[in-house]
Amino acid sequence: MITQVSQPVLEVHDLTVSYEQHPVLWNVDLSLPAGKLIGILGPNGAGKSTLIKSIMGLITPTSGYIKIFDKALPEVRSRISYVPQRESVDWNFPASVLDVVVMGTYGKLGLFRRPGKKEIQVAQDALEQVGMTAFAGRQIAELSGGQQQRVFIARALAQQADLYLMDEPFAGVDMATETAIFQLLQDMTAAGKTVLVVHHDIHSAMNFFDWVIMLNLHLVASGPKEQVMTEELLRKTYGGKLNLLTQVTDLIRKQDFNPLKR
Amino acid sequence: MEDFLYFFTFQDPSITWVVLGITLLGIGSAYVGTFSFLDKKALLGDAISHAVLPGICLGFALAGEKDPRYIVTGAFLSGALATFLSSWLKKNTKLSEDSIIASILSIFFGIGIVFLTVLQKSGNPEIAGLNSFIFGNAIGIAEADLLVYGGLSLTIILVLSLFLKEFRLMVFDPNFGQAIGFPIQGIRFIFNVLMILAVVIGIQAIGVVLMAALLITPAAAARFWTNRLSTLLLLAGLFSVISGIMGTYISFVLPKMPTGPWVVVFLSLIALLSFLVAPKSGLLPRMLSRRRYIKQMHRDHLMKALYKAKEAEQAYLSLEEIHALYPFHRNDIQQSLNLLLRQGFVVQNTAGVCLTAKGVSDAMRIVRLHRLWELYLNEFLHIAPDHVHESAEQMEHLLTPELEAMLEQRLNYPALDPHQVTIPREAHDR
Repeated sequence: MITQVSQPVLEVHDLTVSYEQHPVLWNVDLSLPAGKLIGILGPNGAGKSTLIKSIMGLITPTSGYIKIFDKALPEVRSRISYVPQRESVDWNFPASVLDVVVMGTYGKLGLFRRPGKKEIQVAQDALEQVGMTAFAGRQIAELSGGQQQRVFIARALAQQADLYLMDEPFAGVDMATETAIFQLLQDMTAAGKTVLVVHHDIHSAMNFFDWVIMLNLHLVASGPKEQVMTEELLRKTYGGKLNLLTQVTDLIRKQDFNPLKR
Repeated sequence: MEDFLYFFTFQDPSITWVVLGITLLGIGSAYVGTFSFLDKKALLGDAISHAVLPGICLGFALAGEKDPRYIVTGAFLSGALATFLSSWLKKNTKLSEDSIIASILSIFFGIGIVFLTVLQKSGNPEIAGLNSFIFGNAIGIAEADLLVYGGLSLTIILVLSLFLKEFRLMVFDPNFGQAIGFPIQGIRFIFNVLMILAVVIGIQAIGVVLMAALLITPAAAARFWTNRLSTLLLLAGLFSVISGIMGTYISFVLPKMPTGPWVVVFLSLIALLSFLVAPKSGLLPRMLSRRRYIKQMHRDHLMKALYKAKEAEQAYLSLEEIHALYPFHRNDIQQSLNLLLRQGFVVQNTAGVCLTAKGVSDAMRIVRLHRLWELYLNEFLHIAPDHVHESAEQMEHLLTPELEAMLEQRLNYPALDPHQVTIPREAHDR
């Protein structure tokens, strides 16, 4: 059940990704419409983060290509915003909330130029949108998990992009914050932005997303929520191991040689 | 004393030069070190500093004398080789990072010592000065050498200031940096070059064995005092400069003394002091606040005992009765009693100890907090009434007036606690 769209915001063409000798995504081929809130669902180790990182150019795919706004990544980088997983950074790093959010403006600033009044204003506006204005001067080490997540989202907002890629922005976030963030994301899509979210909770996915991508090493489904959130597809994504695919993966790993790499 | 004045009044221009050099060197290495400390790459600095020794020896052998240009170049190249090898091994083998770094450190240093021994046997009269590269000798640096080392330090400081934003991003969130299109690999390369340079500038003054201490210790000590990167950099620089100058002074007063070990001694003192007395994170302030809490606890317990006696229609508690309640804390209770007497919360006469009006009001607050917390645990956390006392005994000392107000509101100003005992309130609050 894979719905392709014309004039996609994002086109992933036959993407295969391997870590070392270890294929983690097989032949993913999808296209996504603009202005939608899109969820990426799948069990642990299904390759959800890998997909996002490949789109962001952080991982070089084994084969396939990605087009964003019908262009290659370097040409449109300033229109894309990325929220890494919260655990990927050391929150004991000596920085204030505002320091981190200002990092969102670095992309437009480029190398060497220091953030000035304008950048700080952009960061403060972003903090206001996530309801963290009162925390601007706070040390990031003193934040709760949900607050850290909101700081990361504020940093993404400060990038003022058109396409947002978020890796597990709801991990370790309480219900009230989750609803508030979803509301914010829905406002963003209403304003024409496209938001792609790696997510793990099927229940809230049902409520909030417009479009759902289901992954489990390969692409199970991609399409409007009403069409893909079926019991059959969910079972295909979460239930039962893909015995054959996992065994092939193991085989490739043992061979110490990846035939998928050229 | 004479030496002290002579040194610190800078009458001797050569001392002025050395102090200026060590100041620049201290700031440069502390700056670079702060970033590698935050990046959790402290060991790499140690490996590089040991790994420059073969380069120093080769540079010396090629020049035939202690020419700083040859020595610095040799040291830099051999440090660069070590850095490259460690990242290459990490990428292409399954060895863990610490074993790679330990191997590189010992192998390079071993080769360096072999070279050094060979050079010593060669009979070159210039060789004497080469030994100072092991433990450093700041006083022995010639002015020409100082220009090279100082110039390099200045370069490091300038490049770091220029790249402050980029290095901050590289350490805090390199993935994000790459995602917004920053050449993180290139920035890391520049940082590694700066790191090797920071080691190279210290080889003459501090020595290869101890240079890593000058990189990492200032940042580690400064981290106790601040949570801001800018302050951290300033403090680390300051600590490094102070220890550098003190170490140089010792080398000046005691001519055979190497500078490196003394710099490290002073650095360690600063680090130890920071560890002990830094506000909030220091050992002493933490111990003091713990003591304050325990004192408060004993005081509150005594007040509560007097209040409960009052509830049981017994106005006075004799000293014996009080001590019988807390048999293991005689001294603490006596101290609390003295304090309360002085503060006018209690009075003592022949009948025993009794709460004053002021005392009743405060004791009531403690008992109220205790019973409110018990009720909260019982009603909201569904903990059985016979299991709530222990927790309340601890929380009654901690709960703030704001939390008390919240508890009252949540529980809707209850009259009774889970044991059906009255929750006491001031007359005007009832």
